[in-house]
Amino acid sequence: MRLRTTRATAGVVGVMVLPLALAACGSSSKGKATTSTGPSSSGSTAAQTGGTVTIGFQGPLSGPNSPQLGINGVDGVKLAIDQANKSKALPYTLKLDQSDDQGTPDQGPTAARKLVDDKVIAVVGPMFSGATKASEPVFSQAGILSVSPSATNPALTTLGFKTFVRVIAPDTVQGKAAADYMVKKLNAKKVFSLDDNSDYGTGLSKALEAELKVDGATVTHDGINPTKIYTSEASKIIGDNPDAVYYSGYYSEFGPLAKALKGAGYKGQLLSGDGSNDDQFIKDAGGASIADGAYLTCACGDSNSDPKAAAFVTAYKALNGAAPGTYSGEAYDATNALIQVLKGLGDKPTASAVVDAYKKVDYVGLTKTIKFTDSGEVQGDAVYVYKVENGKRVVLGLISDLLK
Amino acid sequence: MGFYHQFWQLTVDGLSTGSLYAVIALGYTLVYGVLQLINFAHSEVFMFGGFAGIFVVRGIAPGGASGWSSVGLIAFGLICGAVAGAVAAFTLERTAYAPLRRRGAPKLAYLISAIGASYFAFNLAGKEFGRQSVNGPNLYDNQTVLFHIFSAKIRIQTVLIFGVAISMLIILDRLVNATRLGKAIRAVAQDSDTASLMGVNVNRVIVLTFIVGGLLAGAGGFLYAQVFNASYTMGFIPGIKAFTAAVLGGIGNVRGAMLGGLLLGVVEAYGGDLLGASYIDVTAFLVLVLVLLFRPSGLLGERLGRTA
Repeated sequence: MRLRTTRATAGVVGVMVLPLALAACGSSSKGKATTSTGPSSSGSTAAQTGGTVTIGFQGPLSGPNSPQLGINGVDGVKLAIDQANKSKALPYTLKLDQSDDQGTPDQGPTAARKLVDDKVIAVVGPMFSGATKASEPVFSQAGILSVSPSATNPALTTLGFKTFVRVIAPDTVQGKAAADYMVKKLNAKKVFSLDDNSDYGTGLSKALEAELKVDGATVTHDGINPTKIYTSEASKIIGDNPDAVYYSGYYSEFGPLAKALKGAGYKGQLLSGDGSNDDQFIKDAGGASIADGAYLTCACGDSNSDPKAAAFVTAYKALNGAAPGTYSGEAYDATNALIQVLKGLGDKPTASAVVDAYKKVDYVGLTKTIKFTDSGEVQGDAVYVYKVENGKRVVLGLISDLLK
Repeated sequence: MGFYHQFWQLTVDGLSTGSLYAVIALGYTLVYGVLQLINFAHSEVFMFGGFAGIFVVRGIAPGGASGWSSVGLIAFGLICGAVAGAVAAFTLERTAYAPLRRRGAPKLAYLISAIGASYFAFNLAGKEFGRQSVNGPNLYDNQTVLFHIFSAKIRIQTVLIFGVAISMLIILDRLVNATRLGKAIRAVAQDSDTASLMGVNVNRVIVLTFIVGGLLAGAGGFLYAQVFNASYTMGFIPGIKAFTAAVLGGIGNVRGAMLGGLLLGVVEAYGGDLLGASYIDVTAFLVLVLVLLFRPSGLLGERLGRTA
């Protein structure tokens, strides 16, 4: 049962239908006008009106489902676009079109259709796995590239989405590394694996549990509905007496869960994945006294502590007024790779040319070299672990290095 | 072995969550009693109470507190939450329902108005208070175990939620059954035309019913926000659960709402442990369906006027 999303859906139907209808009217009448004035229109999906090309972004920007991760992403896209426009790297001006899917599968297709209707040249996003799974058919059908900075569900690249790639390693990689870290570094023999029943959470917990069993740990699995009330769940976990709890889900639930566990006297290790890897987790948990000691795994590095990324961090802060967060670097890289592709496509790029060229891109980015396998996975499998110390997230390093 | 081992702990957890449901459920039940209307915007009254209490407590003691100053802060937060809830409920009644009542609108119009008001209110809160959740300052160290009931560890949070909620339930029960206002509420619930002929100011009673429901929900909102954080969507799930609790106990029935809330909390705690947390809602609604199959008007029956 996803009670929360039910109302959200109803809300979006109400709120979105009107502007969508208006946008549809507007674009159809415009289309008619161009065809009647002559055959000069490009006729393809090129998104040009007066020397601008629009890049779409889709992710959670509001709602109860960890919107900070979406904000991290869109701010990275903004910076890349801003820099390209300032350096006049392209013969036209780039514009950003944001579409808020609240991180839920039921609002994904609506958010995706908005971008398609706005005739974007390509999309950075969607951010969350569930929303991505629901939205990709829309992008596939429209023939528009969708490059996700963060959707890690392993199955996403196997579902036949023709225009989907991602610049982050799938959770088979993260789950395996996290399991090894728990067993080999934290000496956990009994692990309670908890997920949030989302596409992201179930994908990650499945990968994690498979490797935990390989490593010889005892695993208890449970899936929670995201309700923020975890008093009895905490008692259940404590009754199981695990050495470590790994939560596969987003920070907006991991915060209250950590609070409930610590409040009920849990003394073991507490871990979560990239969906919880944000400072907002510490706030939601109720501060350092609860969040301290928690580990967070992520197939993403920390640009704030990376000397090579210093210029990026400074520019990001100047533009967005906050330090980059989880996925900011990935979104920035994905957009920059897109800009590099656009450079090679002249002054009238088409969406289909972008799809073809992007799949062959070889771009040295901030977080990794962006180069895709045939299935649309990015090459490389670096997984980092972070720890909360004194109310701050500190990156401990690459799991593969720490296990040496 | 987990379930037997944790049985008492789960019972206590369930009762504590359930008492929170019960406090909110009373707002649904009272309004249903006098207007035969499901006030879907009640969850937003709860939310406004939560924000008001948290903002005030954070304003006074941003770094947290301990000892007697904590007790004072919690009491003050409860009062602020209750007042904000009452103001929200009053405003809601005046803007979303009173105009419809004056024009004698059909019942369906009230329902649509309630849903509209709910959307407006929680989106307004999201805009004004931000889309991220807001946590309260640490007012107590919840790791300390105060005492044991059988094998269950009782901590401050449990005592706080359960104690405050049960006190509010008892006060409300007395209010409805033993005061002039309570008599008027029951009279309007039983037959508002006759009550009006007998000299009861029906409009005033309706407004006061909303305010009483708002006071409870607002204070409950602060309790919830102090433990689980305040956010603009915080009202939704507790609101649905409380509505379920009200139906379970017999909507329109004050004691039924209390019983329904406590029962729902305990059923959820057991269900989550035995079947897995994914089945919490399944268990809760299964119990609801079973109860309604055999007692279509809820455990204690429907009418506020007759049974409360």
